[in-house]
Amino acid sequence: MEKLAATSPAGVLLDLSGVLILLLAFACLGSKLFNRYVAYYGAQSVVLSFAAAVVAWTFHSIELWILAGLTLAVKGIGIPVTTRRLLVRRLALSRDIAISTGLSTSLIAGGALTAFAYLVTRPELIPRGVVAAAVVPLSTAVILLGALAMVVRRHTVAQLIGWLIVENGVFLGAITLVATFPFIVEAGIFLDVAAGVLIMLVFVSGLTRQLAEASAGELRGLRG
Amino acid sequence: MTALAILIVAGPLAGLAAALSGARARAAGIAGAAGAAISLAAAVVLLAAQLHRAPLEGAGGFLYVDTLSSFFLLTVSGVTLLAAVGSIAYVSAEEDAGAFTRFQVRLYFVFFGLFASLMLASLETGNLGLLFVLIEASTLASAALVGLEGKARSLEAAWKYVIISSLGVTIALAGTLYLFYAGSALHLTSNLRLTWPYLFAHADALAPAPLRLAFLLAVVGYGTKVGLAPMHTWLPDAHAEAPSPASAMLSAALLNTGMYAIIRFLAIARVRLGDAYPRGVLLAFGFASVVIGVLFMIRRGSAGHPPGMNFKRLFAYSSVEHMGIIAIALGFGGVLGLYGALLHTLNHAVAKSVLFLGSGDVALRYQTRESGPVRGLLAAVPFTGGALLLGSFAVLGSPPFGLFLSEFTIVRAGFATASPVLPLLLLGLLAVAFIAFARITTGMATGESPAPPNPYHGRAAAWAGVAPLAAGLVILLVLGLWIPAGLNTVIMHSMAAIR
Repeated sequence: MEKLAATSPAGVLLDLSGVLILLLAFACLGSKLFNRYVAYYGAQSVVLSFAAAVVAWTFHSIELWILAGLTLAVKGIGIPVTTRRLLVRRLALSRDIAISTGLSTSLIAGGALTAFAYLVTRPELIPRGVVAAAVVPLSTAVILLGALAMVVRRHTVAQLIGWLIVENGVFLGAITLVATFPFIVEAGIFLDVAAGVLIMLVFVSGLTRQLAEASAGELRGLRG
Repeated sequence: MTALAILIVAGPLAGLAAALSGARARAAGIAGAAGAAISLAAAVVLLAAQLHRAPLEGAGGFLYVDTLSSFFLLTVSGVTLLAAVGSIAYVSAEEDAGAFTRFQVRLYFVFFGLFASLMLASLETGNLGLLFVLIEASTLASAALVGLEGKARSLEAAWKYVIISSLGVTIALAGTLYLFYAGSALHLTSNLRLTWPYLFAHADALAPAPLRLAFLLAVVGYGTKVGLAPMHTWLPDAHAEAPSPASAMLSAALLNTGMYAIIRFLAIARVRLGDAYPRGVLLAFGFASVVIGVLFMIRRGSAGHPPGMNFKRLFAYSSVEHMGIIAIALGFGGVLGLYGALLHTLNHAVAKSVLFLGSGDVALRYQTRESGPVRGLLAAVPFTGGALLLGSFAVLGSPPFGLFLSEFTIVRAGFATASPVLPLLLLGLLAVAFIAFARITTGMATGESPAPPNPYHGRAAAWAGVAPLAAGLVILLVLGLWIPAGLNTVIMHSMAAIR
């Protein structure tokens, strides 16, 4: 575990990837185009797979190499390509107008949430021994930003991307626990995410066929 | 023993296999019910064997069954059997009426089997990461059931369900991560030590600050699945739009599975953090759920002309209320609180199975899910009407049914451990719920109406519609009159596992 001290090259790379992932979450929060949501999510997943590869390289873990490859293939390429083909292009989505706050407001709220994440995961609260402790607040912040995106966006596709960002945040936290998080669990999480995206795709396209616009803001049939 | 555990999980897959091989609704339903019966029988044998031996462990801690898991396995497999028998009647009636296509029938049995099997599997694992994986997978399987009818309303409910629950369960996974951060002083290295029993045994060495966060995130995350307010918003829609036997599974099996996960986290948190913090969290969410459940019963029940509401939605709000009661009981804690909570999960599961399966019968006959047009059930369809009426009094906690006993225990636990204000408040809320709920169900049962057409073809289907209601009511009555010695021992052993 000592190998991944923050000063080692691997530790620096891991921290840098964490920061990049956070910035990409902010970029997604600050954009208004469906194409960009998908692109930022894809880029974030590519950086995530790089982070997993760094940890895999440090610990010589074949399982983590497999995970890094899976992340790149499924989250970095598979999900962005399918959502772009099956949702963004086929439903001719371009500008997201179903946002309940202004972009600047959501960015400010995102900044506050990031500060909050650092507050609750102060180093003295997290015991020593965690690999790359700097990643913990970063992953928490990404989870909160994804959740914020789901709250302020009312379009189903935007909410789907928000959930995927939350999931990336959790995954970033999980790769810091390489030594303890069993491979089968990580693989299972992967399977769940892929199956989840598939089933959501079915629902969103089914809804779009039935309603003029599948924005969660338009989903008002069931209330109370 | 391990074979038994596998048999429990594999049982419900029989219906899936039959549906995949192209069976029609009747045959697939009967196969599913037979599989569920095998699963229940295996759960009973396993539970009986559990009482006299150490917990079953295997596969590097991925398999872990102690008495607490066996108790929940019993409840969930029992509910699965009731719902599987109900499915024979419901789905074949829908198929005969042309409401379900062959494809939808096949989808129904495939996802019903998967859903049941995944829930049972999640009760059998000791690894908290795998617990997340299985619970999320069961969410996806049940989302397909919610959206099965393919109408705009059911797709909307399914979308809401899958996105809110997935987010919730992902938050629970973040909670699991924090639990591991809390345990980093333990130098967790091998897979074995990630398991619940290891963490529970070494809870003293966990760091309190991350543990606090872990518990809160787990309650919020798995509480989304349980339907604790304010994360309950998917629940009424999903319960109202799913086919009725699937609603019974959601309310009686899925919610319990989520509660099981919370109980596991609670046990660890109590050892390290003491009683005060977990109690505060659980009481806050519990009371919020009861209040929200009751308020919506009143508000929705008095709107419209004539006043009334979607009765499946009414039952769903009652589920929110009852999950709140269980959370409150866990919060009160102590022997009485835990005993009441565990007993209440069983009682509520049986009562809700009766209500949702009965509501399926009513919905098939009257072709509506609104309570307004349904009148005179007792005169027109005496058995269903009677079951619905008795079931609703049972679920409202009136004697001589089981829920009276468990709610009574919970209120006593409140007086024993907390200030008298909280149990009194709970009693007041229960009284209001009684009036709001009973007003609608008695309205449906009494009055005059012409007998609706019979939706079932053949005696087997008619029997399959009736049998689970009768069985459920008998169980509720027995549990209300006395707690069998075996069940008492099981609950005591389960409590010993988490104290």
